[in-house]
Amino acid sequence: MDNPPSTSKSMTPDSQPPIIHKKDLSFLDRIYIPQIVNGLRITITQIFRPKFTRQYPEERWTPPPSFRGRPVLVEQNGVERCVACGLCARVCPALAIEVQGSETELLKERYPVKFEINMLRCIFCGFCEEACPEEAIVMSQEYELTFTSQDDAVFGKEKLLMSVEKLRDRLEFLRKNR
Amino acid sequence: MAKITIDGKEFDADPKQTIIQAALDQGISIPHFCWHPKLSVAGNCRICLVEVEKMPKLAIACSTLVADGMIVKTESAKVVNAREAVMEFLLINHPLDCPICDEAGECKLQDYAYRLSVGVSRFDFNKVRKPKRVELGPNVTLDTERCIMCSRCIRFCDEIAKETQLVFTQRGDHVELTTFPGEALDNPYAMNTIDLCPVGALTSSDFRFKARVWEMSSTESVCQGCSRGCNTKMWVRNNEVLRLTPRFNASVNDYWMCDEGRLNTFKHVNAETRFKAPMIRKQQGLVEVGWDEAIARVVSELRSFKGHEIAAVASAFATNEDNYLFVKLMRHLGVGKVVYLPHVKRGDQDDILIREDKTPNSCGASAVGATALPEHGPLAGLLEEIQRGVIKALYVVDDDILTDPVAAEAFSRLDFVVAHASNDNGVSALADVILASSTYAERHGTMTNFQGRVQRIRPAVATAEQDRALDGFSMSRLDKFGSHNDRWMRGARRDARPTWRILANLAGVLGAKWKYATVEDVFAEMASTLPAFKGLSYQRVGSQGVVLPANQETPASVQR
Amino acid sequence: MELLIPVIKISVVLGVLLGVVAYTVLVERRVAAAIQNRVGPNRVGWNGLLQPLADVIKLVMKEDIVPKQANRFIHDLAPMISMAIALITFAVIPFGDSITLFGQAIKLQIASVNIGILYILAMTSLGVYGITLSGWSSNSKYSLLGGLRSSAQMLSYELAMGLSVIGVVMIAGSLELDKIVQTQHGWMWNILLQPVGFVTFVVASFAETNRHPFDLPEAEPELVGGYHTEYSGLKFGLFFLAEYTNMVTSSAVITTLFLGGWQIPYIGLAGLPAFWVSILQVLAFCVKVYLLVLFFIIIRWTIPRFRYDQLMNLGWKVMLPLSVLNLLVTGLVILYL
Repeated sequence: MDNPPSTSKSMTPDSQPPIIHKKDLSFLDRIYIPQIVNGLRITITQIFRPKFTRQYPEERWTPPPSFRGRPVLVEQNGVERCVACGLCARVCPALAIEVQGSETELLKERYPVKFEINMLRCIFCGFCEEACPEEAIVMSQEYELTFTSQDDAVFGKEKLLMSVEKLRDRLEFLRKNR
Repeated sequence: MAKITIDGKEFDADPKQTIIQAALDQGISIPHFCWHPKLSVAGNCRICLVEVEKMPKLAIACSTLVADGMIVKTESAKVVNAREAVMEFLLINHPLDCPICDEAGECKLQDYAYRLSVGVSRFDFNKVRKPKRVELGPNVTLDTERCIMCSRCIRFCDEIAKETQLVFTQRGDHVELTTFPGEALDNPYAMNTIDLCPVGALTSSDFRFKARVWEMSSTESVCQGCSRGCNTKMWVRNNEVLRLTPRFNASVNDYWMCDEGRLNTFKHVNAETRFKAPMIRKQQGLVEVGWDEAIARVVSELRSFKGHEIAAVASAFATNEDNYLFVKLMRHLGVGKVVYLPHVKRGDQDDILIREDKTPNSCGASAVGATALPEHGPLAGLLEEIQRGVIKALYVVDDDILTDPVAAEAFSRLDFVVAHASNDNGVSALADVILASSTYAERHGTMTNFQGRVQRIRPAVATAEQDRALDGFSMSRLDKFGSHNDRWMRGARRDARPTWRILANLAGVLGAKWKYATVEDVFAEMASTLPAFKGLSYQRVGSQGVVLPANQETPASVQR
Repeated sequence: MELLIPVIKISVVLGVLLGVVAYTVLVERRVAAAIQNRVGPNRVGWNGLLQPLADVIKLVMKEDIVPKQANRFIHDLAPMISMAIALITFAVIPFGDSITLFGQAIKLQIASVNIGILYILAMTSLGVYGITLSGWSSNSKYSLLGGLRSSAQMLSYELAMGLSVIGVVMIAGSLELDKIVQTQHGWMWNILLQPVGFVTFVVASFAETNRHPFDLPEAEPELVGGYHTEYSGLKFGLFFLAEYTNMVTSSAVITTLFLGGWQIPYIGLAGLPAFWVSILQVLAFCVKVYLLVLFFIIIRWTIPRFRYDQLMNLGWKVMLPLSVLNLLVTGLVILYL
């Protein structure tokens, strides 16, 4: 005998909504009008409840550090931390990242001469951030992305670089939750 | 014969073999860094430790000879423990800079670290610092910190390249690989040390930081540098060849290839000088045209000449199929003799791999009916006939036959010159029609090396009319999942065609009823009509090639 | 002069009606938002008051797409039929008693037809053509199903609608709408005299206008957009406006038949000048109509859609017998009391 899957186990008969047969309904239930009146009462009272809407361009939301906004390259001392290892590009399930390495005189030997993220492909999963051995690509708190063409959506290094000070919250969050 | 048991599998082994070799022959791979089947045994990496019953201590499989009744365990607790210790030891001073290391992805140390290591180090002192980015020679860059002192490169230079250039200095964990004072790692086979190096200590200066290995697709091919025809792998990303590496073939090149072939036989594929489409010379110079127009022009011009007024030059760079169809087409036009120009560099030959004949297919060109021009003053007769006005048109396939200014002067007298060319060269500068032909990296076909061994080449770079997925190319992950609007799928593609197809198109317009859907059909026809190729097929050629029946009597030792 | 007055009446009524319809769209969106604790469109103009204008501009600027295999002529005709019928019905609604302007007594009704009710029933029956034809001519399965559902639904509920009106007609003794309003003076609104007739008529009105909970012809989860799936731009806009015009017209008819029309109970006791009384009566009519429109809107965001079999059951097995019974009782009461 196979054990029933756990989902069906948790659905005990008690937790299921009761089945109502038509013959069980009282006359008032069956003419339906009291139900309509009750429904109207609910909807009309809802009209006077406070609104949840955020008036977006004027009121903006500041995401918490756990938020995965658009991925950015961490800039420290004027250069990116990235060494163009390509692990972010390899792990990216949407193949959004393209990296081309080249040689630099800096101690890190290797740097990305080209680092492009196609923001139309990006799914904000944060795998790049997780795979990065240098803590060089992190998910920022920026969520406002608009483009007018497919080519505009490919962000190069100039758009991706962000100073380490601006990313302090996220970096701290990552270290705490490693 | 010695009867031995490895991991419970009992078999007979040659008593002159080591355990590691005997195991490998049975498909059991024992981890190894310093051991290589074609190099002498050094036994210094210790990762191949195995447990042999009745031996008091673990033995290294690479230098322990097989003995009758031997029982070997390669996965016992003792062995696993020993390997973990060896791995930890090897990693003590290794910088673990895989993110910037070009070897990452094809690194033995990386693979074994995942497979055999515990994943943590108990060593919390500073690692030993050694020189990095050392130019050992013109083509090889050394990162001394990454070296695990396996000495494969040193043994390769001593034993295979026969030039003693590399050596270890210092002692203990300060051992450094270096060249002898005043020497450089500049032997013609130096770059094989890069393939041999089990870590990222020796890396290619040419390929340095060009790509990560997992981004590329690899295609089996054959080197075009000389008539040896070393088996290679061609590594492509974004429709661009980035490097060549040797591919094992015991009868041709073993594990090796020369630096010349490795570096200088693929760069023209993506060069700026490539023709992007067929061209016709008009008043304003060469103009790109469509294939139909170019072929119609060639046909109408060729029809206006008599057979003996046309000089036909085949090529030792083209495939057997290309040359075969060229000869066939010229006979159809009534041209008596098809020649080809040999490219021989006298004296540039050794008894390792490099051959004087710098073309990959001169043997094949002769086999399909083209005649080699004399080696000295090769064009003399041809030029004289042009000057006399006997020859009025020239048809050149895939070769630059413009050897000297005299030839240029003579060629300019011709009424009509048509050339198949992939890149801008001397002949194409004079040609009236250029039929943009694909390079060896873009076509299927066979080459016959100096031993008479027929070997296949396969397309690795796509032309405008090819599709990597539909035409059976090997594909990287990027190729598989990319779409046309991804930047990494927009590598240059040229409207070039393989020579055999251009010739078949021409023949069709000329009225010959040739029916070749693929180049394999051409080869099948060759196998049935040419005695030299009798009974051959692409299946028989396979990935290791097959020797032409006529050359099979020659003993292998002479061929070396 | 005889020509000028009707022309002025028509232009005023048409203008007001279209304006109201346009803003009803906005009202619906704002009310829907409020019920769902949202804000709704508030960007175009002050508090979104120019939203209808923006909507119209958008609809006019959009490309008119006609399916390849569609019957082009009928495809173009259908939305016009829908809109025209919706507007025409309003012609017989009395929105006030009569007013004396510049010494001229003007009746506040475009056309005082002595068979007003029949006219309304006839026009609403014609309305089904617009929807059925649009469904058929689009040559799309969703449109066709939407059109079929609509014709079946309208036919079913027309019976109940017609029968429930007869009670009102019997009380008034006339088919003329003006007369019906006149009889509802004081407290004698038909909603009190004919409560069952009122309920059946309102329910039938919901069905006739294809409003929730009877909007099966355009049931989005099943039929994409129903009969107007293949419409875009201005033609879609016409259907959209027709739906809202129908809603306003239905409200006006219900007001006229059951809520005393322009009547304000016991206004005569206040002793106001006749002119002001007329103005107040027109206002009262407008307020009644708009409260009903709001009712239509709130119901949409309260009650889930019926299943098709439930709809048919309700129409044939409940509404029809109920209105017949109502008719019988009314007849008996009139006969014996």
